[in-house]
Amino acid sequence: MPILGRRDKTPLGIYIHVPFCRSKCQYCDFYSLTTKDDRLIDRFVDAICAHIRETGPLAPGYRVDTVYFGGGTPSYFGADGMATILTAARRAFDVASDAEITFEANPDSISDKLLRRLRGEGFNRVSLGVQNDNDELLRRLGRPHNYAQVLTAVQRIRRAGYRNLSLDLMYGLPGQTLAAWQETLTHVLNLAPEHMSCYALKVEPGTPLYDYKDLCNIPNDDVQADMYLSAVDILKEHGYRQYEISNFARKGMVSKHNLKYWMGGEYLGFGPDASSDFAGKRFKVVRDLHAYIDGIKRHGPVLEEVQEIPIRERAGEYLMTRLRTTGGIEREEYEKQYLLPFDPLEEALFRCRDHALAAKSSEGRWRLTPEGFLVSNSIISDLLLIQDQSTPLARRR
Amino acid sequence: MTDLSKIRNFSIIAHIDHGKSTLADRLLEACGAVDSRDMADQILDSMDLERERGITIKARAVQLTYQADDGEVYDLNLIDTPGHVDFHYEVSRSLAACEGAVLVVDASQGVEAQTLANTFLASDAGLEIVPVINKIDLPSARPQEVKAEIEDILAIPAEDAPEISAKNGINIRAVLERIVKDVPPPKGDRDAPLRALVFDSQYDSYRGVIVYVRVMEGTVRPGMEIRMMSTGATYKAVEVGTMNPLGLTPRDSLGAGEVGYLTASIKTVSDTRVGDTVTGAERPAAEPLPGYRAVQPMVYSGVYPADGAKYQDLRDALEKLKLNDASMCYEPESSLALGFGFRCGFLGLLHMEIIQERLEREYNLDLITTAPNVVYRVTKLNGEVVMVDNPLNYPDPMEIQLAEEPFVKASLIAPQEYVGAIMDLCTNRRGEFKNMVYLDERRVELHYEMPLNEIIYDFFDALKSRTRGYGSLDYELIGYRPSRLVKLDILLNGDIVDALSFILFADNAYPRARKICEKLKENIPRAQFEIPVQAAIGGKIIARETIKALRKDVLAKCYGGDITRKKKLLEKQKEGKKRMRTFGTVSVPSEAFMAVLKLDDD
Repeated sequence: MPILGRRDKTPLGIYIHVPFCRSKCQYCDFYSLTTKDDRLIDRFVDAICAHIRETGPLAPGYRVDTVYFGGGTPSYFGADGMATILTAARRAFDVASDAEITFEANPDSISDKLLRRLRGEGFNRVSLGVQNDNDELLRRLGRPHNYAQVLTAVQRIRRAGYRNLSLDLMYGLPGQTLAAWQETLTHVLNLAPEHMSCYALKVEPGTPLYDYKDLCNIPNDDVQADMYLSAVDILKEHGYRQYEISNFARKGMVSKHNLKYWMGGEYLGFGPDASSDFAGKRFKVVRDLHAYIDGIKRHGPVLEEVQEIPIRERAGEYLMTRLRTTGGIEREEYEKQYLLPFDPLEEALFRCRDHALAAKSSEGRWRLTPEGFLVSNSIISDLLLIQDQSTPLARRR
Repeated sequence: MTDLSKIRNFSIIAHIDHGKSTLADRLLEACGAVDSRDMADQILDSMDLERERGITIKARAVQLTYQADDGEVYDLNLIDTPGHVDFHYEVSRSLAACEGAVLVVDASQGVEAQTLANTFLASDAGLEIVPVINKIDLPSARPQEVKAEIEDILAIPAEDAPEISAKNGINIRAVLERIVKDVPPPKGDRDAPLRALVFDSQYDSYRGVIVYVRVMEGTVRPGMEIRMMSTGATYKAVEVGTMNPLGLTPRDSLGAGEVGYLTASIKTVSDTRVGDTVTGAERPAAEPLPGYRAVQPMVYSGVYPADGAKYQDLRDALEKLKLNDASMCYEPESSLALGFGFRCGFLGLLHMEIIQERLEREYNLDLITTAPNVVYRVTKLNGEVVMVDNPLNYPDPMEIQLAEEPFVKASLIAPQEYVGAIMDLCTNRRGEFKNMVYLDERRVELHYEMPLNEIIYDFFDALKSRTRGYGSLDYELIGYRPSRLVKLDILLNGDIVDALSFILFADNAYPRARKICEKLKENIPRAQFEIPVQAAIGGKIIARETIKALRKDVLAKCYGGDITRKKKLLEKQKEGKKRMRTFGTVSVPSEAFMAVLKLDDD
């Protein structure tokens, strides 16, 4: 943890989980409900605002520099609720005037009115779920919109004055070919977003897609790997720098909020199923809207899996999360923070470099190459094993 | 002490699966030795493993009290024997404690290879053989033909052999009557100096070693000084008694003709050699009883803990297992690839699998086992003769004058339509045809001489599948014969993995090498880079496969700061890797070592 100077405050991210959607997508396993009645929404807003009010006083030394409304579909949930929650956050926390404030949106629930209202409240970044440009595929995935709505939505977002727009795409979709993916990507880049996220479709147990995953012609790992590598190339050609496994941005337009997750920053999550890493502990809010509302109302427990993370485990997290980013890992940073030797890790990284899976910068930072990102689980689990077996520096002396 | 004329000592012999253990269960029931509520199937097979696999591994003895039709009460001592060919030796030592043997023959299968082998063992030991036709209630039963087979093939009168169903309890009393009438009562002078034959022993943590004996002459009582005639070690007998199905019953004494146990605060089973003679220390017998052939492991394999840190645990477990299984042997060895472990000797592949399974189950160990091998005899140019039980110790080909491998005489019995298939199989396995005998108009017995090495891997499975389960096998060692042998090395990513090296017949090297490379390719997970899998003889590569590099293993989305799930996944992957063995840069899961053994796909 950084040491607090007299005037410096520790940066903090706030995440708001909005668990409402118009419909459930075939592949989605995030916590969201498709019921939306006004009474429930009011109770949710009351609960989350109360939760924020209770928590604010616990973070006196912090300044909030990012706020992120995810879900669910915040745009479908509506501007009033979001405005109320953001206001509560501003009252309870010291939210910086230049904070990055993002909301997620789907093209079918984005009106000029909503966009202007939220812009007025201080929202300055939109993350729009596009996923694909083929209407038939969008329909099959259970997306509640078509591609024409995407085009309209982008126009509206720009018109409302948002200068930081992120588009989400997915690859490895049923029936998708490498050529089709490249075409989709080029097509979508014509919309000139500042930021792009490209995620491989992951088939999660318990989702509708899981039941027919073997029947719907999902591209195999080799094809998906090619899709990924070509996306990295195409995005690079269009001026998007990769800064994380699945994230790309024009210069200076990285998602500050998401970077916190990978750089060991602190964040507090509100709303059901939201995660936090704050004051040395990781914890999660209960994954049940009603339990959340009741818990807050009765001042009962709403947190689960509260865990103080020991330093040894933080050392593992450092490898897991930092190696997702192009910033990567570095000897001094590692040895000073965790008092563990970097040598054995570096030995393995040199081996990875021999196979073009990792690269070392002139400043001595190790990062994975796009090919390395593709097999990052395998590389990171190797490194974790090596770390497990290494002797702390202090004990060697 | 029971009068000699009221004692019958017998065992049950049969081909595997002909219903030996089931008949034993029924005899126990019929004698009221077990309450029906305590009755479990295969009650004499007390190991879980024995019940699960439906086989008998250890010999067991039990005393039954039977009131016969003549109104007299008899002590019937039943010594159960294992049926599998690996445990031949256990059979022979059980037989030496008996005067008779009940020969169980399946009414539809008839006489099979082990029926023959065990019958010969029993008649060589001078036992009276009481044939019984089992599974009489099966639609395919043909009792008259099977009786004729027994008479023709085994030359044992079977005209009025009881026709029974052990499974359904039909005609069980007839078997007991036949035992009383046909099995001769034991002889022996109870006042003579003690001579008791040790036929098994077992370790008990409270009493020390429990020695199972058949008293041939004299009497043993608690408090008596006893001496093991082979080692000369003396002990004070603490307890003597008889075995009942659910435990031990202490008695005042055990006299000639009786079967029972004794304890004497003996600390390890190795102090009590099976086949040894127990005598009195004060009044010792002049001569020990004829011992039986010493047990000789036929198959050796390296056994290593999957987690190197568990070496000590493995050592303790082997020590404890050895207490109850004198036929296994082990000594420490080390491998560059696998670290510290043990080279263990087993009676056969089944025995090896059982020991492994017991180590893993009863001692909660994760093991890596190397390919089993037989013991080769190598004469070096300088005249030195070395017995090689570990491929690592195989001498440099330049130093070898003569290499020999153990051969067995195999007897295979099957219906005649499978003769072609069996001949094919045996020829492929380097078998040398000796002769073929028609047992009756349907079935033939083939004799082959073949290398033991060809039998230990998967010969039995191959035989069963080629004869639709009708083929049966028995074999015995006949000695060493010169052979052309080579050592095959396996290289992963260019490095020799010593634990995968093995010795084989030169002409088999190419096909075997190819198959092993294929198997390893299937079993080694894709890594971050390409891995060549090669097989080599003396530095010359003779087979190669390539494990392609892993293309994609990534969590694309790490959402909302919930890294706990990702952490769990990576931790799991890490733990999986921990259980793999790393050779240079290649991680090999422990299953791969066993998979290379199972090469016969047809």
